[in-house]
Amino acid sequence: MKLALEIKNLSKKYQDFELKNISFNLPQGMIMGLIGENGAGKTTTIKAILNLLTKYSGEIKIFGKLNKNEDETVKEDIGVVLDDMFFPEILNVKDINYIMKDIYKNWDENLYNKYLNDFKLPLNKQIKTFSKGMKKKLEIAVSLSHHPKLLILDEPTAGLDPIARSEVIDIFRDFIQNEECSILISSHITTDLEHIADYITFINNGEVVLSKTSDELLNNYGIVKCRKEEFNQIEEKDYVKMRKTKYEYELLVENKKVFKKKYPKILVEQVSLEDIMVLMIKGEVK
Amino acid sequence: MIGLIKKDLLLIKSNIKLLGTILVFYILLTFENEMNISFLPAFLSVWLMFSTFSYDEYNKWDSYAITLPNGRKNTVRAKYLTTIILILITTFISILVTFLILMIQNKAIPYNELITSVLISTLTITCIESFIYPFIFKFGIEKTRIILFGVLFVIGFIGGILIYQVNLNVPSLINFLAKYGRILFVILTIVILFLSYKISEKIYLKKEF
Repeated sequence: MKLALEIKNLSKKYQDFELKNISFNLPQGMIMGLIGENGAGKTTTIKAILNLLTKYSGEIKIFGKLNKNEDETVKEDIGVVLDDMFFPEILNVKDINYIMKDIYKNWDENLYNKYLNDFKLPLNKQIKTFSKGMKKKLEIAVSLSHHPKLLILDEPTAGLDPIARSEVIDIFRDFIQNEECSILISSHITTDLEHIADYITFINNGEVVLSKTSDELLNNYGIVKCRKEEFNQIEEKDYVKMRKTKYEYELLVENKKVFKKKYPKILVEQVSLEDIMVLMIKGEVK
Repeated sequence: MIGLIKKDLLLIKSNIKLLGTILVFYILLTFENEMNISFLPAFLSVWLMFSTFSYDEYNKWDSYAITLPNGRKNTVRAKYLTTIILILITTFISILVTFLILMIQNKAIPYNELITSVLISTLTITCIESFIYPFIFKFGIEKTRIILFGVLFVIGFIGGILIYQVNLNVPSLINFLAKYGRILFVILTIVILFLSYKISEKIYLKKEF
């Protein structure tokens, strides 16, 4: 299995925040979702991958090539959507085409125009007149129009309404049809990731808490919502995290089949990524 | 890199109306008062370049640009090349406008003086930009404006004292340059510009976003 992206022991220290030994692999042809709270380290990780950081320890390889040297050829094959970083807003979408023609060797004007058309983006208006959703769509169009092999997307669906989000998710799905293409996508909107991500990496407080296939996560993990009497029957080693709400106890269970066998009378529900995230962060350790 | 230069030129183009208005205003002033405006287009070039830095900073363009295949080196190189292009254009405009005014006023064209004054203003501006750019690449344009304000104040203060103390004669300095120093001044400016470029490059290669 070829890897599009390999991250080994990525660490970075700031005054008030530390990224600790982040490691994960993204195989070619797959989509990896990065989830975590605001300030958990998702954007810092993405910045390191994109060479926006210069001082960090660890190793990052893109398409098998080490990332730290000044080899820019690899960037021809990467498409990027970053949170709040883009072209000066007094330009319009035509200007961007005119500029990008000379930046990417593979810039495809027809493809770009097709996306503009699909997204119904006006050609002659300055970007600053666009809504937040329109800006995001433009960023996505630009990131895709040079036939990249790896998309790195930081919150690409933020600010989009549900319809636009499903449009964008469909575009990502189409993109991945080519087995050479891969996506690393960070998002708060975990339901989007449930739809498309093959792998999920969960970062909390600068550390990787989980990095598994989504099937593994969603099929094995389970959530138990029970009353105090039931909770008292459950042994501490049988759940990962526990949260007490006003009316019930919520438990995150690592293997729901094993749990069901042991406690046949207690109901185990299907878990969502959001449940996992909330319980991992808010829940108490046994 | 050409894409990056195009981006800056497009940003500059968006300010062209304002630029035109200022130029016309000053030309009219010159007609009335016989003042020398050869410095003006060069000064406008600084203002226009600063505006490109401001637009970049406002939209965090630099971070985005680094993810494109240009790399950091080309990002710096593109800014310096755009600056040179802009200075050449504004120098040309300076000469053209001065010629036009003198022709309309039906006056003889003092080639020598004209070339000297345009050269001095253009080269001075290039030196000033060379001095400022490394600060912009290090701290960003908004912080640099504040730093610049402080630096200019200190330079003005010390310079004022020096001129008073040493009894330095500024016009005689210009005369000296006009007589012997044109080529020297050009070479010195190119060296300063090159040094500034290398310093900016070094700063930018290490910068974190």
